[in-house]
Amino acid sequence: MILIISKNNEITTTEVIKWLIVMNKKFIRVHEDEVFEINTLKKRILLKSYRNQFFIDEISAVWYRRGGIVFKTLNYQNQAIDRYMFEVQHWLIDYVIKSLEGKRHINKQSNSHLNKLLVLEKAKQIGLDVPPYFLAEDMEDVIIDQTIVKPITGTPIVDHIQENQNGIMYTSVIEQKKESSFFISFFQEKIEKDFEIRSFYLNGKVYSTAIISQNDEKTKIDHRRYNSKIPNRNVRYKLPAEIEHKIDLLMQSLDLNSGSVDFIKSADKFYFLEINAIGQFLGMSEACNYDLEREIAAYL
Amino acid sequence: MKYFNLYSNIFLTKGANRILISDLQRNNSELQSLELNDIIEELKSNSIEEVFAFYDEESKEIAQEYLDFLLEKEYGFITAGNWDKNFPPLSLEYVDYNKTSNLFMERNELIIPIKLLQSIENLQIPHLVIYCNGKPSLNEFLKLDADFENSTVETIEIFAPYHAAIDENYIKHLSENTSRMYNLVFYNCHKKPFKVEDIFRFNLLFTSQDLKINSCGKVDLKYFDTNIMKVLEAVNHNSCLHKKIGIDIHGNIKNCPAMHNSFGNINNTTLEEAILHKDFKKYWNLTKAEIEVCKDCEFRNVCTDCRAFTEQTHKNNEGLDISKPLKCGYNPYTNRWDEWSTNPLKQKAIQNYGL
Repeated sequence: MILIISKNNEITTTEVIKWLIVMNKKFIRVHEDEVFEINTLKKRILLKSYRNQFFIDEISAVWYRRGGIVFKTLNYQNQAIDRYMFEVQHWLIDYVIKSLEGKRHINKQSNSHLNKLLVLEKAKQIGLDVPPYFLAEDMEDVIIDQTIVKPITGTPIVDHIQENQNGIMYTSVIEQKKESSFFISFFQEKIEKDFEIRSFYLNGKVYSTAIISQNDEKTKIDHRRYNSKIPNRNVRYKLPAEIEHKIDLLMQSLDLNSGSVDFIKSADKFYFLEINAIGQFLGMSEACNYDLEREIAAYL
Repeated sequence: MKYFNLYSNIFLTKGANRILISDLQRNNSELQSLELNDIIEELKSNSIEEVFAFYDEESKEIAQEYLDFLLEKEYGFITAGNWDKNFPPLSLEYVDYNKTSNLFMERNELIIPIKLLQSIENLQIPHLVIYCNGKPSLNEFLKLDADFENSTVETIEIFAPYHAAIDENYIKHLSENTSRMYNLVFYNCHKKPFKVEDIFRFNLLFTSQDLKINSCGKVDLKYFDTNIMKVLEAVNHNSCLHKKIGIDIHGNIKNCPAMHNSFGNINNTTLEEAILHKDFKKYWNLTKAEIEVCKDCEFRNVCTDCRAFTEQTHKNNEGLDISKPLKCGYNPYTNRWDEWSTNPLKQKAIQNYGL
């Protein structure tokens, strides 16, 4: 039995499940609005929600896609008991999560949210080219038009920034210096790119796509600023073996066996930008005919 | 030296007199000359300078125009020193997750017998198309949708005759209480009951045409579709019949309800049994490259084939009908579109089919 931890209507999950059905692999899909109780039955640990129930020992593989498995915790009136029982429940939940993560898996709930700053340091240690960067709370050291600013958070989306509106923190070039200081921000040298590369990594294999947007002012800095009229050219790409090897080392050092890795190609250099462990890859999979959904289903 | 690199998702189909350039990423196709095809071919094994050296001064200008065109359309890019070998070709392999992709049925009512429901479930058929002769009630629609709750069916398309009970409330109710309805076409409708807006969870069309099961199979520019999965399927398989099952009005299991050959009747044969018949899949891998005339047509990879109505002129060694679809009026040798139904050469086949 395969356990899939995902979100409602998450389309990649659905596409992988279509393959699992064809491959006759049984699965349980867990959503973000499910809360599990930890029970026992005949010395076996049973997890139960309003729509699913399974024994931990039934699970042969786990795919952590999005969201997270949530457990019900009990509160107690007596504060001392409450503090004590909090710890009891903490270790129990910790045991369940670690047991599940000990199975054959694609990604883990506990480490799929990455600290971008640490990842950059790791990438440098491994020998990948990383554009010079620094943290600052003013623009004293910023060189106009040669520096970009980008968020250090995992998601660039600011929910409900205004009524009925979400904000997105795109990567932007600094064109004008701000006099005042601000909250610590991440600045990085702007690289004149030939194009961007997004590589999907799965257990040592690297599937790359070149995202060519240079002809188009709108998408020059951040390819997520899609131009819907003339989309970027997305084509199969093969990174040099040495870069693929370093991706493998980097992912292993982060204990990730799947994720999307972003690069900029500039002349003969490949600059590492970041890793997104739970990124979207269906678009690339189809554009390049990589059939990544099938690869994932086959591994599970 | 400079080199031209064609993007791997730019797909060229060479016809008798022209080529079709299909942009498999941007989902569009355009016709171009064979001359452009020659230049693209030469640029694959020679540098730009070498290719230009083949031409005299006057032709050089034309060659330059072609190159500018390729760059402007973003069909490729230029590199210095060599081709960029890190751009591998696109794999033309066609892979999809289903064993059978659609079931096309002609029926008098929408309700599907339990035995057939079970077969649809067993074969994990994702797409259903029902051509209905009767006038389905709202409850029939709801029952049909409910019958597939928790099944692997993803979409249901219905063609049904229009009748007076169908009004805005009927459709609204359907939209709010079904989850798999994908496309509804009400034919024989001479006055639309209300103005159709894009507010329903399915596509909706009222047409005055009197659609029949044998109205299918027409080939026209407006039906051409550039889409990577469809093109890859057409390159490897039959673009109409691959993974398809048909059931005619009498319950006969066929490749398509409009075809002649039957593999049993649903009253005594299951779909699972029928598709195991040695001949059931014989047309699944017949590509346009093997069909007379179509094999020289620049549209062959964006077109949908038809084996139900053909010109009935050619058979291959295995006895497969490899004649051109009857309802195609295009001639790839003259590049002209003519009305198929009045073509004197097609009259015999038209009579044979009783069209």
